[in-house]
Order: sequence, then C-alpha cells, then structure tokens
Amino acid sequence: MDVIIASYNYWIYILLMMIGLYAMLSKNNLVKKIIGMSIFQAAIIVFYVSIGAKRGATIPIIEHGHGHGAAEHAVNVMNYVNPLPHVLMLTAIVVSVSTLGVALAIILGIHRRYGTVEEDEIMEKIQ
Amino acid sequence: MIWQIDLMVLTLIVFCAFSAVMVKDLLSAAIIFGAYSFLMCLLWTEMGAVDVAFTEAAVGAGVSTIFMIAAIFRTSRSVKHRSRGRRFYKLIGFFAAAVTGMVLLYGQSDFPGWADPNSPASSHLSPYFITHTISDTAVPNIVTSVLADYRGFDTMFETAVIFTAGIAVIFVLRQYRRDQTDVAGTDEVAYQSPIIQTVSRQMVPFIQLFALYVVAHGHHSPGGGFQGGVILGASFILVGLSYDLRSVLKKMGEGPNIIFGNLGVFLYAGIGAVCILLGANFLDYSVLSRILPATDSVMARSHGILGVEIGVAIAVMAIMIAIYVNISSHGKYDKGL
Repeated sequence: MDVIIASYNYWIYILLMMIGLYAMLSKNNLVKKIIGMSIFQAAIIVFYVSIGAKRGATIPIIEHGHGHGAAEHAVNVMNYVNPLPHVLMLTAIVVSVSTLGVALAIILGIHRRYGTVEEDEIMEKIQ
Repeated sequence: MIWQIDLMVLTLIVFCAFSAVMVKDLLSAAIIFGAYSFLMCLLWTEMGAVDVAFTEAAVGAGVSTIFMIAAIFRTSRSVKHRSRGRRFYKLIGFFAAAVTGMVLLYGQSDFPGWADPNSPASSHLSPYFITHTISDTAVPNIVTSVLADYRGFDTMFETAVIFTAGIAVIFVLRQYRRDQTDVAGTDEVAYQSPIIQTVSRQMVPFIQLFALYVVAHGHHSPGGGFQGGVILGASFILVGLSYDLRSVLKKMGEGPNIIFGNLGVFLYAGIGAVCILLGANFLDYSVLSRILPATDSVMARSHGILGVEIGVAIAVMAIMIAIYVNISSHGKYDKGL
C-alpha cells in the first residue's frame, strides 16, 4: 500500500501523458489532436505539482504574515508546501490556454481553406 | 495531503481523459475535457497548490472550454468514422505511447515518494523562499512573491508569450471586409433568453469587482494577475455569450483591446526599466522606495509586485477577449456564437 501511495501520482501522470500522446499521434480529427495536446499539458502539471507536495504541510501562504511584528514569527519550512513548482505551473496554465487559442485559430484557418478538419481529407485536398 | 482523495480524483481524471479522447461527438469531448480540468482543480487544492487550482478553475475549466466550443461551432461537430486505413496509424500511436510510457515508468522508479518532505525538490531553493518572503518582500503569499519578484523575468516573458499568442490568433484569423458599412444591417438576432440576459447583466459587475479583488489581494490570498485577468476577460466573454458579439465590441473595441494588451506588457517591462533608471538591476523593485512616498525598501518590493500584477492582469484580460472574439466570429467580428 505504501508503494502505491508513494508512486500513484507518477503512474497516473505517465498514463495521462500517454493518452494525450496517443491522441496526438493517431487521431484523425484535428480538434481531437488538440484535446490530446491539452491532456498532455495537464499531465505535466500533475507531475510538477506532485513534486511540490509535502506531507503534513499547508498551503504556501505564511500564517500571521501581515501587520506589525510579522517578521518576528518564526517560519518552519516543513509547514509549507514547496511553492516553486506552483509558480512555474501557474504561468504554464495560462500559456497553455494561449497556445490552445492559437491551435484552434490555425484549425479554423484550415477549415476556412479546405472545408474540413479531418486529417486524411486535408491531405487529399493538398495533393 | 489526503491520499484517499488523491487516489479517487486521479482515477476519475483518467476516466475523463480516456473518454474525452474516445467519444465521437466533439461537443461531448469538449465538455468532458472541461470536467477533466475541474477535477484537476480539485487535485491541486488537495495537494496544497491553491494558486494553481484557482488558475485552473478560471482558465482550464472556464475559458478554454468556451474556446473549444466556439471552434467546434465554427467547424464541424462530429468525427467522421474511418474503418479502413487508420489501423496502421493507431498501431503506430499505440506503440509509440507504450514505449515512451515504459521508459518513463523505468525512470520513475528512482523518484522520491509522493509528498516526501525531504525530497530534493523541496530541500534546496524553496526553503529560502519560504523563510525569506516576509523579511524580503512583506508578501505572505509565497507564490505571489516568487512569481513577481524572485522570478520576475520568467513571469515577464510568460506575459510576452501570452501577448504573442493573442497577436498570432489575430494574424491567423482576422478578416477585414471592404464594406464595413453593412455591419449594423446584418443583425441576425438568434434566440436570446431574457432570463439569461438579465442574470448575466446583474452578475457582470460583481464578477469584475471580484476580479479586481483577486488582483489586489493576491499578496495575502490565492490569486494575482493571471487569475484576475482571466476572470476579467471571462466577464466580457459572458456578455458575448448571453447577448451578442456586438455588445462586447461596444464595451471593448478591437483597437482599445490591442492597446490594453500592449499596455499590460509595457507596464511590466516599464516598472523594470524604472528600476534601471533609479540605478538598480532590472525588476529590482526595492529602489522604488525613492519615488514612492512613505515606503521602505521592503514595502517598495510589495508595491512593485502589485504594479506588475496589474500589468499582467490587463494583458491577460485583453488577450482572452481577443482570442474569444476572433475564434467565435471566425475573424469577421460580426456575430459570435
């Protein structure tokens, strides 16, 4: 049981990543490929946030952190989860929605020109 | 850290991912993908990443689902069924995914266990941030202080990436018509529910007020420029969904929107440039105490963080509106969903 708890997050992130990778490689519909890409991105975020988790720790906001005498409270590192992966992933989520927007815009451009979002039909029309 | 919830939510997430990839109806796939994002949001909260959860709730479950629905509305809803010729691609995809998964599983065996307090990731750099955030910047929310101060360069270029993405969407999709005069004439009003319109109209001011609170209170609670900016953009998108696109463009036209996007990035870089002019490094806010009244160098860093968060919020808001307007109207700016 301890082994499962210790590595379950990592197994699931690999599984999600592979579902996304499979969709990106094998799906014929371009929107499905984009969904696969987003699943892949979210899987990487699972990985990072799992690294930052800490047993017995609370959210990364310092208690008694404002007002006078805030600096005098001793801060125990073990009480707060690792904030660094959170920062990296917070910006990554917003960047991922922007890249999703660009990808969908390109799909709409393809649809405007070829009238389809199916990969094999587009290939036929290009040739 | 509640491992029971962790196991349960992760299992549900795998079901959602699998069915989002497998379902034939693209609209269902988009909605299942929204559910996937929302379960992710629960998972981040369970692991203590409240800022990430907030962002995921606003971005992943909210705005990106709308973008996807808008794109499906403008293309086609169903996936055409292929029986012949796809088996080869499926086999290749499955094989590639299986091999990569095996390699990653092999690499995973060396990892420290989940939620190990002494893991290498938690023992070198992050203790510095946790112990010094109050004395350096007077910001209790460590994520905010790391985001905008310690790693300010990173966040500035992430904002620039978002801005670039918005510009790219406009370049790809925007179609300028010769005759702009008939825009007012072609007003095909689809069915619009008065209940939805009234409720949305009542909600929008509160949503925007909440967004400003999220930006301004990011020092002390989960939130900040990215979340607040997305919520601000979502309030405009709500107007576009419940009324029509023209109502959005009346409030926030194409030109002002792009100017806002520029202004946000410029504000961020400008605060960094002011720091150089005052004789310190780029984005070293502590020298701002010379021009801000009644602040010492610690509070100056706190105020500098607020300034760049406002810049991020303005840029993100403008880009979210630009992406929605372009995708939902196919770049024509005449009618939305």
